[in-house]
Amino acid sequence: MTEFLIRVIITAIIALVYFGILLLHVAYATYFERKVIGHIQMRLGPMVVGPHGLLQPIADMVKLVFKEDVIPSQVDRVIFRIAPLISLVAAMTTFSVIPVNQGWYIGDINVGLLFVLGIAGLGTYGLILAGWSSNSKYAFLGGLRSAAQMISYEVSLGLSIVGVILLAESFNLTEIVQKQQQYWHGMFLIPQFVAYFIFIVAMFAETNRVPFDLPEAESELVAGYFVEYSGMRFGLFYLSEYLAMFCMSALATICFWGGWTIPPVLLKAWPWLGNIPGIVWFLLKVYFHIFLFYWIRGTLPRYRYDQLMLIGWKVLVPLALLNIVVTSIIKYIF
Amino acid sequence: MTGKEILNKALMVEILKGLNQTLKTLVSKAVTIQYPFEKRKVWPGFRGKHAMVRDPKTGKDKCIGCMTCARVCPAQCITVKREKIENKMVVTEYKIDASRCIFCAYCVEACPTCALVLTENYEYSVYSRDELIFDKELLLKNWDDFVQRWPEDTYFNKFWQPPGIDPKRWPKTKQEQKPIPLRGAALTEQKEAVKEEKDETGNS
Repeated sequence: MTEFLIRVIITAIIALVYFGILLLHVAYATYFERKVIGHIQMRLGPMVVGPHGLLQPIADMVKLVFKEDVIPSQVDRVIFRIAPLISLVAAMTTFSVIPVNQGWYIGDINVGLLFVLGIAGLGTYGLILAGWSSNSKYAFLGGLRSAAQMISYEVSLGLSIVGVILLAESFNLTEIVQKQQQYWHGMFLIPQFVAYFIFIVAMFAETNRVPFDLPEAESELVAGYFVEYSGMRFGLFYLSEYLAMFCMSALATICFWGGWTIPPVLLKAWPWLGNIPGIVWFLLKVYFHIFLFYWIRGTLPRYRYDQLMLIGWKVLVPLALLNIVVTSIIKYIF
Repeated sequence: MTGKEILNKALMVEILKGLNQTLKTLVSKAVTIQYPFEKRKVWPGFRGKHAMVRDPKTGKDKCIGCMTCARVCPAQCITVKREKIENKMVVTEYKIDASRCIFCAYCVEACPTCALVLTENYEYSVYSRDELIFDKELLLKNWDDFVQRWPEDTYFNKFWQPPGIDPKRWPKTKQEQKPIPLRGAALTEQKEAVKEEKDETGNS
């Protein structure tokens, strides 16, 4: 019994540390985004608070925390308060099974991949409930759109990963990474490039980022599902969006880029690369994906709603199914 | 759709072109001028805060109370009152309402003695409208403040000799107007010239 308690306490401490690191990451992910978008538009981004604006995210956080928490009189109070928590908890929980290095995880479960996808899907409830309980037309439209978008793109997201699961013969995230080491290239990106493309597109739609940011389209729905939110409740939505981005980038890294490992070819050519800790490679790969989010945000306009549905159902789902069929046949033959 | 178009769409050629473009601007230098810390160069002919030239010879303004500026002002924001005291015209009140000014610089062009000037100083936001009504003392103070920050040794405003008008039609004082010495060698030269003039007049 005491052994169990000690394990619970240790896990809780690890989870808290993890939580703190993730919060800090989100703060600086916003800074990174503003810098990247700024330089894409030939601006400088935040420059005044601290050297090169490095303290800007902290100033923003302090501002959010101290802002007045306004709850409009016509809202459904209970759901209005729970909604941001649902999306935040869903976004945080996914990180409990994501390994960032060999053996660095909070929980190692056999169906890690399914767990991440399932919990990430739960986050949609937060958005829909926020849109519904706000009792505002813009928020409601945003919530509806997010529901439709999530359902459409979760299908292609799940189907795109099936190819990886077929090759890895496991749902466990650590095992998926280890299986990729059997190849000379060390990543499923090369045999599964179609799946990777589908995953990337679905990833953008799942996290409500440009070019699929219809639920929070600022030019038509003001802010979409969180129009009525202010202060830290808005901050929680913001937080969960960036955490979802980080989670999806981590998933793409683990499933397609070989996680914390580097291709055996490179390791053979330059053996000293093996001395660099795995978390460095993991973070580099994750930040490449996060940069991809910002890069595409700085480039593409928003898709129309019918285009969104067309891409989801007429392009990505058939492509993903085709990918599964081809992968299975090749796997069966060899 | 031709085959080429379909291929372009399938390979997302246009999206990749766009991404390439944004990557190019991402690594290129930003064009931002960080305003309060660094300032853009002000070009000659800029029309900013109003001031009255403090004549380095006399230490006073050069206004003769001819009312030309008040007459020419399209916004009618200049008020001049004058009185005849001991057979001499004396300006008793001179006011420019900068909050109504349209910065056409007609007053500067019209002034026969080059006493008025719209300086290159553009940072003079204030908290109340009263502070934007400049009387003579304030206008002279504006000039002193402006001169302190002016980087060169002399100052000459483009509108003192109105461009687009035949120089022969300028008043004689305007034709003879030279850059006003502010500091350094130019000022000492001017002082010496004034001294010599005084000596000459004293001797004669």
